[in-house]
Amino acid sequence: MPRAIAYHRPDSVNDVVALLDDKSHRLLAGGTVLNGDDDPSPVTMVDLQGCGLGGIGGNAGRLRLGAMTTLHDMLNDDRVPTALAGAAQVELPSTLRTLATVGGTVATGDPDSVLVAALLVHEATVELVGPGGSEVLPLTNLLKAGVPASHVITAVEVDCSGDGDCVRESTARTPSDTPIVSATARGAGDGIRLALTGVAAYPVLADPLDPTVGLEPISDFRGSADYRRTLAEVLAKRAVNAVGGIA
Amino acid sequence: MEVTFELNGTNRTVDCAPWETLLTLLRREGMVSVRFGSTSGETGASAVLFDGRLVSSEVVLAAQASGHSVTTVESLNVDADLHPIQAAFAVTGAMQSGYSVGAMVLGALALLESDPDPDENAIRDMLSGILDRETAYVKPVAAIQQAAAVMRGEEAEPFRPLIVAPMTDGVHATDHDPDDRPPEGSPAVPRLVPSRDVPSTSVVGHPEVKVDALRLVKGNPAFTDDFEMRGMLYAKVLRSPHAHARIVSIDDSAARALPGVHAVIHHGNVPRVKYASGGQSYPNPKPHDQVSFDDKVRHVGDRVAAVAAETLEIAQEACSLIEVAYEVLPAVFDEVDAISGTAPVIHDEDDTVDIADASRNLVHHIAAERGDVEAALASADHCYEQTFRVHQVQPCPIEPHISVAWLDSDERLVVRTATQVPFHTRRMLAPLVNRDIKDIRIIKPRIGGGFGAKQEMLIEDIVAHLAITTRRPVRLELTREEEFVSSRTRHPQTMTYRTGVNGDGTLVAQEMKLIGNTGPFGTHGYTVQTVAGLRGLTSYNAPNKRFDCEVAYTNIPVPGAYRGYGAPQALFGLESHMEDIAADLGIDPIEFRRQNWTKTGDEMNIAPHLGEGGVLEEELDEYPTVNSDGIEECVAQGARAIGWHRRDDRSWREPADRPHVRRGIGYSHAMHGTAIPFLDMGGCSIKLNDDGSFNMLVGATDIGTGADTVLGQIAAEVLGVPLDDIQVYSSDTDMTPFDTGAYASSTTYISGTAVLRAAEVVRTRLKERAAMLLGIEIPCSIELRDRRAFAPDGRSVSLEEIALDSLHLNEQEQIMGTGSHVSPDCPPPFGATFVEVEVDIETGQVTVGHMVMAVDCGVAINPVTASGQVEGGMLQALGYAHCEEYALDEDGRMLNAAFGPYWIYRADEMPRTDVFLVQTMEDSGPFGAKAVAEIPKDGIAPAIRNALVNAAGTRIDQLPFTPERVFDALQKG
Repeated sequence: MPRAIAYHRPDSVNDVVALLDDKSHRLLAGGTVLNGDDDPSPVTMVDLQGCGLGGIGGNAGRLRLGAMTTLHDMLNDDRVPTALAGAAQVELPSTLRTLATVGGTVATGDPDSVLVAALLVHEATVELVGPGGSEVLPLTNLLKAGVPASHVITAVEVDCSGDGDCVRESTARTPSDTPIVSATARGAGDGIRLALTGVAAYPVLADPLDPTVGLEPISDFRGSADYRRTLAEVLAKRAVNAVGGIA
Repeated sequence: MEVTFELNGTNRTVDCAPWETLLTLLRREGMVSVRFGSTSGETGASAVLFDGRLVSSEVVLAAQASGHSVTTVESLNVDADLHPIQAAFAVTGAMQSGYSVGAMVLGALALLESDPDPDENAIRDMLSGILDRETAYVKPVAAIQQAAAVMRGEEAEPFRPLIVAPMTDGVHATDHDPDDRPPEGSPAVPRLVPSRDVPSTSVVGHPEVKVDALRLVKGNPAFTDDFEMRGMLYAKVLRSPHAHARIVSIDDSAARALPGVHAVIHHGNVPRVKYASGGQSYPNPKPHDQVSFDDKVRHVGDRVAAVAAETLEIAQEACSLIEVAYEVLPAVFDEVDAISGTAPVIHDEDDTVDIADASRNLVHHIAAERGDVEAALASADHCYEQTFRVHQVQPCPIEPHISVAWLDSDERLVVRTATQVPFHTRRMLAPLVNRDIKDIRIIKPRIGGGFGAKQEMLIEDIVAHLAITTRRPVRLELTREEEFVSSRTRHPQTMTYRTGVNGDGTLVAQEMKLIGNTGPFGTHGYTVQTVAGLRGLTSYNAPNKRFDCEVAYTNIPVPGAYRGYGAPQALFGLESHMEDIAADLGIDPIEFRRQNWTKTGDEMNIAPHLGEGGVLEEELDEYPTVNSDGIEECVAQGARAIGWHRRDDRSWREPADRPHVRRGIGYSHAMHGTAIPFLDMGGCSIKLNDDGSFNMLVGATDIGTGADTVLGQIAAEVLGVPLDDIQVYSSDTDMTPFDTGAYASSTTYISGTAVLRAAEVVRTRLKERAAMLLGIEIPCSIELRDRRAFAPDGRSVSLEEIALDSLHLNEQEQIMGTGSHVSPDCPPPFGATFVEVEVDIETGQVTVGHMVMAVDCGVAINPVTASGQVEGGMLQALGYAHCEEYALDEDGRMLNAAFGPYWIYRADEMPRTDVFLVQTMEDSGPFGAKAVAEIPKDGIAPAIRNALVNAAGTRIDQLPFTPERVFDALQKG
């Protein structure tokens, strides 16, 4: 893990933002990524657990997940759409999903994250607080540009209207392994949302009619770029068909 | 900084550094049940309840715990009794090494609190974060189900073997009846198919609870890292970033100047003594091509220097301050390229001798032949040739390598170490540290799994050098990444079979050409390839056989011993080859094998020609023969359990509702060995105590297998006492008799016979003393049972009375006995493996749905531990076949040196795993026992491969069956 040379546990978001002036300060949410990292660089940890960023709530078809909501919390809360809860379960095993948070997951933007893909098809937006105050970004924008400097994610909001069909199709080495490529499709009132993992630098929304257009997957030991593109085609088609297909 | 938290119900305030993890804090506070597995928290060995939730404490900063409650297994240890969950884990054999059992017990505690009656999926989901390399999760699931029932107030079902009626007469095949179903029962319960030839026994053959269950399930101090040493220093190794380079210079001045650093060692200040690190009998196979620290590095992760410092962090920082200048050399990774004559020379030093051809990276050329293979192939009706490639994987024990060395008060060197080979380690270490063997003591505590990785003197020399230099205790524990890049792995190989078959399906010749990749060092390179030849050419009868093997040096992370030791590679090739020949000849795949397999009465006709003591055909009077086999019964049981007939049902193979899915069932035959004849040796001593109990000392090395329990059962059976009355201690080079160690499927057979002999010595003397007390003329007429010695007339005297009399009252003496054993025989266990798979023909994804293995291991001394061995072996074999694979970049750096990207099977994705123990009576083994530990590694890969042929008609001759490889094969048709 990074060598934590100091540890802060501020009790307000404003205090967190103030601490982020110092570039060696790192935000610590659940710790599964940061504390599990082998990078030995010295950092100061800014632990978010004291800021009251947990909690699930919402209204009018939107559900607000406090940034420190753990994946375990998502799995065990009936208000969380089934497909999101399922993705939270698949994302990490039992001993890590009790620590990992939804805020940390979107901040990391792991290209293989099925939870981020599930959030994308649930039209997730991300609430951040920075020196200039609070703002809300679509999750796609955050994934593309990263968390702005000196900002902290305070919540993730998702569409939970009509907990309709949402299907994930994936290909992995074993049933619980992180998918090489996955396609998550969700039927919504105005069409189908489709998100892919394993084909870009972060999970992406794709066109259900032409899912691989513009994709330039990487090649690695689990799958070549060509293979990943093939998987994306096959899996997207299956997922889209499973939620009713293209009208 | 100060951290205040609640630990097991008590508030504590402790000082800690900001970088300290909850794991290290808890261990510092004495909670040794919380154990290290990986810095990423993936193994779950460190899991604790954090505000009631299961979390890996490796990825929690100690500071994060401030204000929270933490629960460890120690909270359950309020008195001598076990909590129902602990009791269930003990009774069901749910722990082998027990390294991660604390985490499992805590997870079960939290789960049952929220759901007193969880279904199997919920249990498996809870276990998904606790990786287990030993049980295949079969028995842990059963343990939690049993604990749940007990905690709900229900009566626990006794956990005992399910007796399954034999389906054959033991000799002849039986027809497979599709309507016949195996008896219902939990997969966790050992299914035992009894043999009429096996006499009844009181302790042997019974599901006794492991003798180390209490200490493991309570999380008591048991493993290397659980014992504190005052003034201990921490070691860290600086490793090579290059696959092949010469060290031009090392400047350690900045590292030495760092406060808290006590020693920095490297090739400039450690004597250059040649050795081979493989833990094998004297004399270690050549070449001796290693030194503790060299001026050349030969793989990424090779040793460059080591530091001992006051803390791990200081040691780590010191490593980063050592300045090393490298002359980077070209490297080679593929075994075929390596010996082509154009590759860089890996061992160009002049002090390594006995390399077959160093200029060509050829370590060994091994050849053996019986008959005339070329002539037989030329005259055979059919001749088949097929080439296979097998890959590099890691044993992945959850406890990494760890050693602690110190000088005792007599200034002898003591090393407590996670090893499978304490006696070999003592002998091999002596010259490296310039000490006599008598000045070294190796202590083997409980070991958190080894599987071959610890059949190696891997890091003991480093801690020894540092302890001698600093005169302080020194501890070195490998990280998970180091475990991948610097520990030991399975040898990659390229193998070609050529087989001649007559028109009626009879084999006339079989040849195996093998190129083995031993990485940068010989270590186990000679013996693993030899065993590959032995196993790959013994399963089937053919009058003409030839083994032709080249062993290559390369720059990959070092291959060595891994459970199965060459057999899993060879049998993947052999059983795939046999499957394809059968298909070509239009013969049923089992029938074709049956026509040719080696069975009772047949010669093992290449075995004597292989190995270091191999002899030529003309020198040999008699070939060893098979004296017991249960193959037909194994096949019958396995075929019924998997539903073998479905492989011919097209509507099942091609499900109409899932057009992209194909299903198939595959079979493979396995014949393994039991110990190395004339070489493996074990010793035992047993002494009588005042109360009629016994202390038993064995050199045998229980690494989680249950060896101590099985050996105790053998002694208890002979001495007529319950297992409780045998206190088993293993192993310590100062205290216990010699044993070659835990490898080669030898412990039950070799060390077990040593125990039998020692117990017989004691029994004889007990009878003589009983005869004195009972006034009997003929001691041999006395019988020992139920802790008493009975005369033929029914009078008896207790063993306690004999003990008190012999120790205190009359003609005092210590009744004790020793025994040792080396065997001229190597009786083969047999196995039938069946696997059901699904393949997605659009993506190449393979899903294994069901695995069945029926094993003839002679008499299972303990059916629970024996079936556990098979289950764990099948899990590892499944990983080998399906997903595990070293990925190196073009410079030899490992790309997946962590469990996430490497991937080993978790509880929530394991296919159903069924084990049948088919009894046979092997007269040369103790109470009829043969080996069981390694044969489960042999069958899974070829059975999956053959199932894929059945499913999709695709023959894939390279492992593992990862999606893109299968997809490419499907595309090619």
